[in-house]
Amino acid sequence: MKPSLLRSLWALYRKDLAVWWGNRATIAASILPVVGFILIQSIGVAAVGRNPVALVTLDQGPAGQQMRQILYGSDVFRLTDATPDQAQALLHDLKVAAVITIPADFTQRVQAHDPAPVSVTVNNLNLDFTNDIRRAVPDAITQYYAAQGAASPIKVTLRETDLRARDVQFFEYTVLPMLVLLVMLNGLVTSAMATAREWESRTIKEVLLAPLPPELIILGKVLASFTVTFSLGLVVLGLGAALDWTRPVAGEWLPTVLIIALVSLAGTGLGVAVGAALQRIQAAIPIGLFLAIYAFFLAGGIGVLAFEPGWLQAIAVYDPLSYGVHALQMAVFYASNDQFALDVTVLSLTSLATLVLGGLAVRRQIAG
Amino acid sequence: MSQLMYDLRVAWAVAQKDLRIGLTERFSTVLSILLPLNFLILLSLFAISGGLSPTAVVMNDSGPLAQQFYQAMAGAHSFRLQQASAAQAQALIQAGKIVAVVTIPANFDAALQANKPVVVDVQINNLNTDFTNDIRRAVPLSITSFYAKAYPRLVNVTAAEHDLLAQDTDYIPYLTVSILVVALMMGGLLPAGTATAREWENGTIKELLLSPASRWAIGAGQMLGAGLLAGIAAVITLLVLILLVGVWPLHWGEMVLFTLLTIIIFVAWGTLLGTLLKKRQAFMPLAFGTSLPLFFISGAFGPLSFLHIPFMEGLAEAFPVYYAIVLQQHAFHGFDLNTLGLALNALVLVVYAAVVLALAGLVLQRSTMSH
Repeated sequence: MKPSLLRSLWALYRKDLAVWWGNRATIAASILPVVGFILIQSIGVAAVGRNPVALVTLDQGPAGQQMRQILYGSDVFRLTDATPDQAQALLHDLKVAAVITIPADFTQRVQAHDPAPVSVTVNNLNLDFTNDIRRAVPDAITQYYAAQGAASPIKVTLRETDLRARDVQFFEYTVLPMLVLLVMLNGLVTSAMATAREWESRTIKEVLLAPLPPELIILGKVLASFTVTFSLGLVVLGLGAALDWTRPVAGEWLPTVLIIALVSLAGTGLGVAVGAALQRIQAAIPIGLFLAIYAFFLAGGIGVLAFEPGWLQAIAVYDPLSYGVHALQMAVFYASNDQFALDVTVLSLTSLATLVLGGLAVRRQIAG
Repeated sequence: MSQLMYDLRVAWAVAQKDLRIGLTERFSTVLSILLPLNFLILLSLFAISGGLSPTAVVMNDSGPLAQQFYQAMAGAHSFRLQQASAAQAQALIQAGKIVAVVTIPANFDAALQANKPVVVDVQINNLNTDFTNDIRRAVPLSITSFYAKAYPRLVNVTAAEHDLLAQDTDYIPYLTVSILVVALMMGGLLPAGTATAREWENGTIKELLLSPASRWAIGAGQMLGAGLLAGIAAVITLLVLILLVGVWPLHWGEMVLFTLLTIIIFVAWGTLLGTLLKKRQAFMPLAFGTSLPLFFISGAFGPLSFLHIPFMEGLAEAFPVYYAIVLQQHAFHGFDLNTLGLALNALVLVVYAAVVLALAGLVLQRSTMSH
């Protein structure tokens, strides 16, 4: 490339970066949803799965007290001791999701080998909370029997083997899909706005009057948006690593960075195409946001794609973000290269396709 | 009286003007009308996977006790079960299609009948602790449930459940009502904010302000135009929610009333923000950027008080989305999600609407003077 063209490319690149920096609201819009979600997840995750429950222990006998201790030690509830009246008040005031009552004759019944039910009153307003309670109470009963050791009447025991060397905390697991969403969303919105703005403010005329090939103009635009998006992705990855949420093991940093770069490029190319096709910021922002968020959810969102319904898995095969999320999770959490070649190939082809699409869209609009 | 009629005519004229401009920008208008519906679809995708872990069971024993154990697993509210051979189960877990393989040994029935220990192998695809802990808890509780049925004299401690409500509500019908509120929020914010900001951006606000029309009438007209668009969007979203998703309101009157109240608040919010920011480019990212965090903090998934995190509760209570969710959950399902009661929750929204409407008018007045 001639030095004069390089200088022009540099000028286009700097101009787009300067315009991006001047639009703080846009920066906030592409970061706020994801950062907000991560923060809220980090606060709320401590409470998820451990519902608040009031415990009424009417039995002072050994079995009743043992059951009470088991319930406290089971780590499946956030328990509050209460009298029957207090428990009803707590349930009524939505301070607890359920009331567990150990009846007064519990020990007597256990010793007589008569049925000894533990009463559970559930506020069954949605199945998410209700099923948690439905699982948790029998879980505590299981622990009650397990605590009896060899004297336990239960002769069936478990032998657990794990497929992977380490457990990944649920919150950590959600950070990587959110990182992919952030990168895709920022790439799409930033480049879509940068491109649409040229038409809306009619500066496209001035750019086109410059003695430069259109490819160079497109390249400058893509490079500027890519720089912003890729840098943002690296900053979030670095923060995740510093906080010990998403720290790739040695040797996996390079694949991780490569995947972030490819998702950034795919988002940027698609954004240029959207911006050029719509030519209006007002339309480009929501379309860019929706494209990114749809792609994110159709790739399984923060869940595990393989466990989602069949129709969603069928769609996800054609969603490049599912490959991005998979590659990142393998690299960061499991130090695995499982399907890495496929993931990189799909993401590279997507990036290439979106860049060509972006270029074609700009050229078509210029010609029009 | 004649002044009031004149103001009403001005308001209607401004609303008509905004609607006509909307017709010239068809793509954006259609987009803002379909925006709430998109929110409904998008955020519903959160809940589709449900809480059941796909699990393969290798039945090396087909005796009656082994079958009973399988049934106990099926009733544990935790698994999506499928029977498989050992080889098929390995292939499924290696391909990441299932969370766990539970292997019931060939001597299961014989060992239990002889009162001898028996080991059930559980292989877990420990992708994340959410799924892993579900399996770690659900298999033992299946064992206890199995014993409680097969050997009630041996395992006599059981859970006797009493439900507070007559019927369970699935997660999708619950969550979609919360999503509806955020959809209504965006449906009100966007047309109001963009229409108001457009007046400043194009400089047409000068002509409006120089006219003899009262500022309040102009503001009311802007809100009326946006409110009509938001109303169309709300009707489309509600039709999809009721007819396609199948979530029918328990109290139709409440549903209509709270929908209108929510639209009024967010149309006023949109007008206020549009007047303050004066640029669509600044307003739109702000509106979109705040929607997702607001959805998560406002008790969309269940009563906030269950979280026992005062900071989160306090934050949610500062925004009208929280109260609107409480009210719509009552309208659709008859739930009380806080202790304020229906009237007080509604009153908070009414006061919110009055304050935001007044603020929007005030900011327009002040903008006039400084312009």
